[in-house]
Amino acid sequence: MDETTSYPPIEPSNFDLIVVGTGLPESVIASAASAAGKAVLHLDPNPFYGTHSASLPLDDFISFLRSHSESPSQPPFQTSDDYDSIPLATRPLYSELEINSHSSVPLENSRKFSLDLVAPRVFFCADAMIDLILKTGINQYMEFKSVDASFVSGAGGKLESVPDSRSAIFKNRSLSLTEKNKLMKFFKLVQGHFGNGSGEEKISGQDLESPFVEFLTKMGLSQKLKSIILYTIVLADYDQEKLEACKDVISTKSGINRLALYHSSIGRFPNANGAIIYPIYGQGELPQAFCRRAAVKGCIYVLRMPVIALLMDKDGHTYQGVRLASGQELSSPQLILAPTFTVPPTSPPAVEVTNSLDAIPSDAKGKVARGICIAKNSVNPEAANCLVFFPPRSLYPEQKTSVRVLQLSSNVGVCPSEMFVSYLSTVCDNAVEGKKLLNATINALFSMAVSSESENNGIENLCEHTEEKPYLLWSTVYIQELTTFYGAFDSIRFTPMPDEHLHYADILDATEKIFKEIYPNEEFFPMTSASDEHLDDGDTELDP
Amino acid sequence: MPSRRRALLKVIILGDSGVGKTSLMNQYVNKKFSNQYKATIGADFLTKEVHFEDRLFTLQIWDTAGQERFQSLGVAFYRGADCCVLVYDVNVMKSFDNLNNWREEFLIQASPTDPENFPFVVIGNKTDVDGGNSRVVSEKKARAWCASKGNIPYFETSAKEGTNVEEAFQIIAKNALKNGEEEEIYLPDTIDVGSSSQQRSTGCEC
Repeated sequence: MDETTSYPPIEPSNFDLIVVGTGLPESVIASAASAAGKAVLHLDPNPFYGTHSASLPLDDFISFLRSHSESPSQPPFQTSDDYDSIPLATRPLYSELEINSHSSVPLENSRKFSLDLVAPRVFFCADAMIDLILKTGINQYMEFKSVDASFVSGAGGKLESVPDSRSAIFKNRSLSLTEKNKLMKFFKLVQGHFGNGSGEEKISGQDLESPFVEFLTKMGLSQKLKSIILYTIVLADYDQEKLEACKDVISTKSGINRLALYHSSIGRFPNANGAIIYPIYGQGELPQAFCRRAAVKGCIYVLRMPVIALLMDKDGHTYQGVRLASGQELSSPQLILAPTFTVPPTSPPAVEVTNSLDAIPSDAKGKVARGICIAKNSVNPEAANCLVFFPPRSLYPEQKTSVRVLQLSSNVGVCPSEMFVSYLSTVCDNAVEGKKLLNATINALFSMAVSSESENNGIENLCEHTEEKPYLLWSTVYIQELTTFYGAFDSIRFTPMPDEHLHYADILDATEKIFKEIYPNEEFFPMTSASDEHLDDGDTELDP
Repeated sequence: MPSRRRALLKVIILGDSGVGKTSLMNQYVNKKFSNQYKATIGADFLTKEVHFEDRLFTLQIWDTAGQERFQSLGVAFYRGADCCVLVYDVNVMKSFDNLNNWREEFLIQASPTDPENFPFVVIGNKTDVDGGNSRVVSEKKARAWCASKGNIPYFETSAKEGTNVEEAFQIIAKNALKNGEEEEIYLPDTIDVGSSSQQRSTGCEC
């Protein structure tokens, strides 16, 4: 629509909850609050849904990353007769954006792409997000396809199938018979641990508390099998073999929980090929589905509407409402802000005593390096949609973290036919380390044009093995911050940052927690029968 | 065998707030009309089974869920539509003028594979109001616009009295079906998550 169209004023001007930003956590909260009967206003300054959880056409993707890579100027502090107002600022989420274009074809087909901003991310068929999707009925708004295969970078950089199930172990050609037996036995042991049969062997409490890698060793699994379990199924980020330097040691307890989730994901949906599925048109469909659910429950949606200031009462302690770019002022007892907004620490004398406006880092975390590669062919001729894992030390000896790659094809509606999109990510302490690792991954998977436009690649042997690998058309790497900040006002809350994981488990937990803080007496999405939502179906003959 | 997805045809209804989108759907599917206007809350989509050449299809008619009020319909709403119904109120000139914006918005957001031939249907609603005396958009003017946009089928309806609603939706269903079959190759089978949620496998495959 015409963007210059001025909106009618928003009515009413009082809401139970105002939510700014339509990323996944904000959308889930708006939807849950609306389902609980609250009057919710959901705003977004962008012309599209999803904020940092969006999937965008290629050119929009680039301009969004750019606009969130700079520190925006802070608007001046204002006061009025009724309120003190605090300007709402944003902090940059991305940095070190680097784009390498080897062909103009992707950009010429920009709108045929639907690229996830924070990727790779997938659903495990039995995970909590899929349960919530089914519980809320938003599966009616979405469609999914299987991620057909998982590969791990094996000896000599060869991509080998991940033996993640009984049939995959049976078919695997890179494991010895002894390894196959050991792995089968181990999977049975974990299954037995979670089973309720009386004769089944349980894993001891002492083992459950020990590092998973030690338990795997104890179970006699080879180095290769340990690596496969830790990085492709349990999805460890850091090198588990170097326990003293590892930032996140996976315990046996959490290791077998993830393994069990993985295995119960296989076969949950009869026509899914494996444990993992991906939504058609990209992960950006998920926040939109929650927003539609919210709208159906009465939530009011206004895109292209920046909040320019927060209104505080005259004592400076209490949040009252928001001032929109349109000039309209709206009030609510509670405010939810997307994680990239900040309430500036600068405050006028009246408020200074409280010093409560400083943003407090909740848990200082590192960064995640992300990348996207658009290529002409699949990284594996047998799979269109697949995951590829590069465990620590598989690319070079100093590699401290695991790299995950999700390749998608046009059959999930995210790119033109005859092209493939690959998302890469790894956690890192700093940009140099993260980009070095992603560039090594890109180099391992793709062949580059000799006349590369990029000079700052930093990786040698640019054109090695060009004959077998898919030809890279376009790529980007960038760094994303992970640290979530919390404001100090009781009635203003920030949603969690997009995290480094392949799954939604942590984001969903953090989101539900925020909902429970605001509405301790409300259920997070009460169970409703689908028939409440729809009137009776009719039936008619349509003559040709 | 047609997949589940293709037996389902997605129809979306667009137009300014208050032109009668929800009422049209309700009249078609439930043969009901409510005189009390409230901006849409609670309307998601309505489904209706249609038989066509011995095959059974489900017409899934998507309401805007009120997200059109501030022009905040997301791309997910538009995507995968098999037919787009553009509705205006014959008594409100602005709602007719905006049809062009809604059509363009649809083509941009939905990015249909063949935009020239994508099936639209235009409905001029509320012909019953004040016995037709408050009408400001003439049928001739509306038909001229439809002709200029590639001969879009045009209907004048009264959702209140049920006039012409069935006829309009017959064409909507027929054109959606035609489009659905042409699009079939682009959207292969998807995972059936909904219907199997109750028979969740408890054990492990191994």
